[in-house]
Amino acid sequence: MDILHNLAFGFGHALTMQNLMFCAIGCTVGTLVGLLPGLGPLATISILLPLTYSIPTGGALIMLAGIYYGAQYGDSVSAITMKIPHASSIVACIDGYKMTLKGQTGLALFTAGISSFIGGTVAIIVLSFFAPMLGEVAFLFGPADYCALMLVGFVCVSFVTTGNLLDGLAMCLIGVLLGQVGTDVNSGQERYTLGFPFLAEGIGLISIALGCFGIAEITKNLDNKDERTPFNGKIHLMPTWQEFKRIIPSALRGSVVGSFLGILPGGGPTIAQFAAYAIDKKVSKYKDEIGTGVIEGVAGQAAADEAAARTSFIPLMSIGIPENAVMALMMAAFIIKGIQPGPNMIAGHPDLFWGLVASMWVGNVFLVVLNVPLVRYWLSVFKIPYAVLFPSILFFCCIGTFSVNNNLDDIFITALFGFIGYIFLRLDLDPAPLLLGFILGPMLEENFRRALLISRGSFNIFVTRPISATLLAIIAAFVAWQIAAFVVQSRRNGAARPRVPAEPAV
Amino acid sequence: MNDRNALKGLFLMAIALAFGLGALNYDIGHVARAGPGFFPLIVSSFLFLLGAAMVVRSRFMERAPLYFNLRNIAIIMASLAGFALLSRHVNMITGIVFLVFVSTAAAGKYSVRRNANVAAVLIAIAFVLQKGLGLQLPLY
Repeated sequence: MDILHNLAFGFGHALTMQNLMFCAIGCTVGTLVGLLPGLGPLATISILLPLTYSIPTGGALIMLAGIYYGAQYGDSVSAITMKIPHASSIVACIDGYKMTLKGQTGLALFTAGISSFIGGTVAIIVLSFFAPMLGEVAFLFGPADYCALMLVGFVCVSFVTTGNLLDGLAMCLIGVLLGQVGTDVNSGQERYTLGFPFLAEGIGLISIALGCFGIAEITKNLDNKDERTPFNGKIHLMPTWQEFKRIIPSALRGSVVGSFLGILPGGGPTIAQFAAYAIDKKVSKYKDEIGTGVIEGVAGQAAADEAAARTSFIPLMSIGIPENAVMALMMAAFIIKGIQPGPNMIAGHPDLFWGLVASMWVGNVFLVVLNVPLVRYWLSVFKIPYAVLFPSILFFCCIGTFSVNNNLDDIFITALFGFIGYIFLRLDLDPAPLLLGFILGPMLEENFRRALLISRGSFNIFVTRPISATLLAIIAAFVAWQIAAFVVQSRRNGAARPRVPAEPAV
Repeated sequence: MNDRNALKGLFLMAIALAFGLGALNYDIGHVARAGPGFFPLIVSSFLFLLGAAMVVRSRFMERAPLYFNLRNIAIIMASLAGFALLSRHVNMITGIVFLVFVSTAAAGKYSVRRNANVAAVLIAIAFVLQKGLGLQLPLY
């Protein structure tokens, strides 16, 4: 009954006029940026982060969370109607877009909306059970265990976001190195500041996020020069009872899968969608039709998507380790507001924690109300030409960067990271792990140094403590599997291709 | 040598070298009491190894040519830098006008009228942010 009591307490906070308003703003802005190209949740949260300085803590967090899951939803709308996912709804393109081709856009959108709602609801139940429980586990963690956990996070994120362990890990490490810039807390030594006084405090997170995700993305879109054709089809929303019944089992399956995958390090919406879709393809009653544009292909993944977006808050709020790049930004938001997420947060700030959990359900309702009946109006966003859109996004990037410290110099840093981000993009390196590495870097160093201090310089501490030994064993097994897979694959490729006798000229 | 996979590895190795050599300037300390240079040295060594592994791996992979369009990114960076400079030395309204008119040179069709409209709307938004949210924008 504790949970019900806590949730009731949370709703008391989430349902104040002010917090309802912040939740609505968050969901609206989130849906908007989810629909628009070139502005994912990462860039939007970074732009709005400095603007939340003057907003009370609870409201600010509710709004930023709303942007995150709202964007997740808006993205699936653009995936279904036009087959353009910007951030993560790659799976929604498969069956969702096929349904649009069949003239069932309305049904697909309704399915996605209702399934998201179901997914979100299940996730909130999971969240309110597991977050406090995991919080107690986190008290057992020592510095060595924290190090191992962060490394697991790096490996998982690298693999999940880029599908390529080597690339992702390298980006994490670059992030960690960038996090080294500034004053070393232990010795007071300034590192990598090149003598610039404004680097003594470190590189701004906002500059990195806006540069790599906002500006680099805009430039990529400009390079592509593709003109989108806005969606003009008819939308008939209400499903028949027969169709409605088909949504439920898939959505429930997706919710459970999504909730679970959302908690794991490196997990989150993208992997959850793929998993839910794969499971539906195996066990659904209509499994043979999936892929041709049926309800089950949309419902499961949409539910998993929203569920994972919410449960990915669990590791952040109960252990204090963000598991993906968006959560890393949310962590920065918590810290700006003077709250250290971690095992003490739920006990120390119950109003914030339960208020945020409750607001996620309120946000769910908002999303359904906002999106399902009003989806026609949202789609008109696509009629805005890109030549109007991108100067405006650049303007907001500038304002966002500037308002962190009211310093115009920071804009140069953002522009520089825009260039670096563009190089990463062209080298096919995903900057999302970089952001996670950047946030976790200082924590990793501190825990690493502390662990070695405790063990008097012996690296054994990482393998003798049961928690860290287990986590490191998982990493080792994973890396071994990856290397084996690569060798097997290149052998097979080598066998399939006729051998060229001479070495190719370099 | 226009192979994206190999260039990627070389690029990462260069970053690792820059940070790793930098770390040597700081006190490394010893394992039980690590100095400020200890951790960055370890991390950049790992990064160097990863970069080297990528160069090796690229020998086993299909070549992928590197596409790099300097024009657009240069225009965007120039518009941002111009915005910052003008905002500091003149005022932010000029900065916004500059940002809009320069950055749109990267788009396909250039329209002065559309740019004027966009700039006007953005200036209005800036005023709202300044008065409504209390941002200290040096607008004029």
